[in-house]
Amino acid sequence: MPRAIKGVLVECDASIRALIVRIDSERHDVVIQELDETHLLIDSTKVEFVKNELNRLLAKNTYNPLEEEELAAAN
Amino acid sequence: MSLRTGAQKNYTAEYDNEDDFSDSTNTSVSENPTEEEDEDQLLDEDFNAQRPKKITIKKPKVKSGTNNSQSTNVSVDAPPEFVPDVVSKMFNNNRHDFTYLKLKPDHASRPLWISPSDGRIILESFSPLAEQAQDFLVTIAEPISRPSHIHEYRITAYSLYAAVSVGLETDDIIAVLNRLSKVPVAPSIIEFIKGATVSYGKVKLVLKHNRYFVESTQADILQMLLKDEVLGKLRIDSTDQITSSSGLATEKAPEKGDLVIPGTKKPNGEEVNDDVADIYASVVGERAEEEDDDDDDLDAVHSFEISHESVEIVKKRCQEIDYPVLEEYDFRNDSRNPDLDIDLKPSTQIRPYQEKSLSKMFGNGRARSGIIVLPCGAGKTLVGITAACTIRKSVIVLCTSSVSVMQWRQQFLQWCTIQPENVAVFTSDNKEMFQSEAGLVVSTYSMVANTRNRSHDSQKVMDFLTSREWGFIILDEVHVVPAAMFRRVVTTIAAHAKLGLTATLVREDDKISDLNFLIGPKLYEANWMDLAQKGHIANVQCAEVWCPMTSEFYQEYLRESARKRMLLYIMNPTKFQACQFLIHYHEQRGDKIIVFADNVYALQEYALKLGKPFIYGSTPQQERMNILQNFQYNDQVNTIFLSKVGDTSIDLPEATCLIQISSHYGSRRQEAQRLGRILRAKRRNDEGFNAFFYSLVSKDTQEMYYSTKRQAFLVDQGYAFKVITHLHGMENLPNLAYSSVRERRELLQEVLLKNEDAAGLEIGDDADNSVGRGSNVIKRSGSNSNNNNNRSKAQRTAGSLASLAGGEDMAYVEYSSNKNKELKEHHPLIQKMYYKNMKKK
Repeated sequence: MPRAIKGVLVECDASIRALIVRIDSERHDVVIQELDETHLLIDSTKVEFVKNELNRLLAKNTYNPLEEEELAAAN
Repeated sequence: MSLRTGAQKNYTAEYDNEDDFSDSTNTSVSENPTEEEDEDQLLDEDFNAQRPKKITIKKPKVKSGTNNSQSTNVSVDAPPEFVPDVVSKMFNNNRHDFTYLKLKPDHASRPLWISPSDGRIILESFSPLAEQAQDFLVTIAEPISRPSHIHEYRITAYSLYAAVSVGLETDDIIAVLNRLSKVPVAPSIIEFIKGATVSYGKVKLVLKHNRYFVESTQADILQMLLKDEVLGKLRIDSTDQITSSSGLATEKAPEKGDLVIPGTKKPNGEEVNDDVADIYASVVGERAEEEDDDDDDLDAVHSFEISHESVEIVKKRCQEIDYPVLEEYDFRNDSRNPDLDIDLKPSTQIRPYQEKSLSKMFGNGRARSGIIVLPCGAGKTLVGITAACTIRKSVIVLCTSSVSVMQWRQQFLQWCTIQPENVAVFTSDNKEMFQSEAGLVVSTYSMVANTRNRSHDSQKVMDFLTSREWGFIILDEVHVVPAAMFRRVVTTIAAHAKLGLTATLVREDDKISDLNFLIGPKLYEANWMDLAQKGHIANVQCAEVWCPMTSEFYQEYLRESARKRMLLYIMNPTKFQACQFLIHYHEQRGDKIIVFADNVYALQEYALKLGKPFIYGSTPQQERMNILQNFQYNDQVNTIFLSKVGDTSIDLPEATCLIQISSHYGSRRQEAQRLGRILRAKRRNDEGFNAFFYSLVSKDTQEMYYSTKRQAFLVDQGYAFKVITHLHGMENLPNLAYSSVRERRELLQEVLLKNEDAAGLEIGDDADNSVGRGSNVIKRSGSNSNNNNNRSKAQRTAGSLASLAGGEDMAYVEYSSNKNKELKEHHPLIQKMYYKNMKKK
């Protein structure tokens, strides 16, 4: 009997796809199927988690002058 | 899933850093002066002594006090009857609620607003009054950000010192601010201005007629000084001057009078070229008129004389009693130092902003020390030269590399009448000095500051430099010089007036404020956008091109160490394609393109693959010259690749387009300096001409972070960076590199095999002497990194004893190259003699 898993289709840049695959590589329960360069099928229950992780990882690459001033003010 | 929508490039002005400001200025008075500034160990005692004491803003209510004692936090100087309303809490817990400052009825016609908590000034630059207000604000405050519509300035203690030193008075500053402000100026600001200006700049030490005078406009201050136990004794009686009953000599205050800055057209006609004077006339006009009748002696100065030997003691003592002396050089009345025969050539014209900056320096007919900030390519050199022509005493010029030494020398000969034999150059391979009484010396910081063993020749030159008294010293690119080196330079060379020149008064290590004490206050800072509009510098379109990482590169990127990551994002194939496309596109348009890459491995890979010439640290001088000349004059060579050696000293007015593929992390200065390479574009006055500045950035990597950080300085100058997410038509470019997956994989393999060292930046600072850089030979690509770099100094050869002893039929050859052959230009003297001989034949 065929087994069905509910998934969400994600369309994204190649780099984001690589990030999602990396997130998956630690837990192996996110990605159901890697479809092609820009598409992935992921577990529908993990969507929120993936979004948060991506935000966290990408925030590292964004420079925010306000943040820096806050840090300076805190010190 | 689109994760990054439009980039946030224009920062809003609503920061939340009240503490920041009060920390920097609100240190307690009782603090021991030796304790302050632990980071300033580089500075000597002397210089700590010259540092003005920190001043305190006495705020009516101390913040912490309000926090504890009262249930409601009210803004620091809100009147007691002020009642915060419902939304006040949202403004940093009431502290930023300034509603008690009521708008003036005619606020719409007034251009600015001052934040009571941190001295930040917001200026509407579209207001009709804005231009005048800007001139005034540049004098009293630091420009923070100047985009097209709203400008931001900030009043700091330093900026107020600078204002005082160019002759503004406390009350006038406050009055003008009140005039321009939409709301009444808050008491905390008034308090702050008063605190910063009350004692500073009131006492001047003037050298005139070869004698030192302590001078002040207020007789009571001098009286007070004379009563001081140390200073009173140092006074010597002047015999030839009428002394008033108070024992002070009184004379007319110095005026600009007949001093004409060469190159300016109006000597002292109606339109005095001081815009601050203008705004005074218009803003405090009625007050000045009132004072005209009864205040004849307002313009008088009082002075007493001190002897040469006591100058140092006086300076120190005045510092101790909180009346730091301002040094001025009355060069017109200095007959001890011989005049230098130097004048601008009649054909030389200086531009309005250059004139304005010089008028700050020579405002009262004397020379003040300070820093002038002008964008790259806006003619800093000419400002220096004009200042030298105004002072007309012996001049010493210090710059960062021997290339700029030659440029300075050449510029002096080009713009003014100085005789070539009076222009001496002091570099590692040129140590001749001028023979006449007065002259000009051009040298580098490292030559003068060197403390290690010197050759006999250079020691002789140094003795010459230190034994003399110099009228004027020009310090080029002041922002790059470390404080310690600077101090050594400034202390070893005795110069009466100092002028610092720079384009970017920013440093990542925040050592800029040191310059205030080492040289003097900032006298003038030009507005980049303004100059671009008036056609003095080129209009530049800035763009940040986002290059997505290919998936295979990004996967590796996520796995690698930080340094290797850098290599991956620089070598991103998409970036390469973007670079190729842009070069192709701009070459078609007839642009001359410079591509910058800090990473030497990438520089070579890119340049070799695209078949373009490149220059980096270890390119021999001859080859450099060859490439640069071809770039300038050869139609076939339209693109060159430069490593960071090209950041500053290389002057290429032909270039109209810049592409940056890798850079020094988040250095704002480098970004600005690089932009400076195209600001002086020859074609800038063609109609509709635009220069282009592209910064290629690999998306979703650390590079994005650095890129934004780097742009901060230029954004503050009013440049807007467009973000290009997709280059239209890139896919259809013929011969597009790395278009197949196989090629990309091969590139990836190659990059992954690279040693981590290849990711490093070129060693040495861009400010280094770029001629003597041969030693950092960079690892060649494609091989085990350590084997074939530096040619080893010693060579092993097998041979018979007889041959080694010279017994065989052979001659010795000397391999060490003759330094003289590297000289491009012969010494003028030799050249002269040589050509004479030629003519005879």
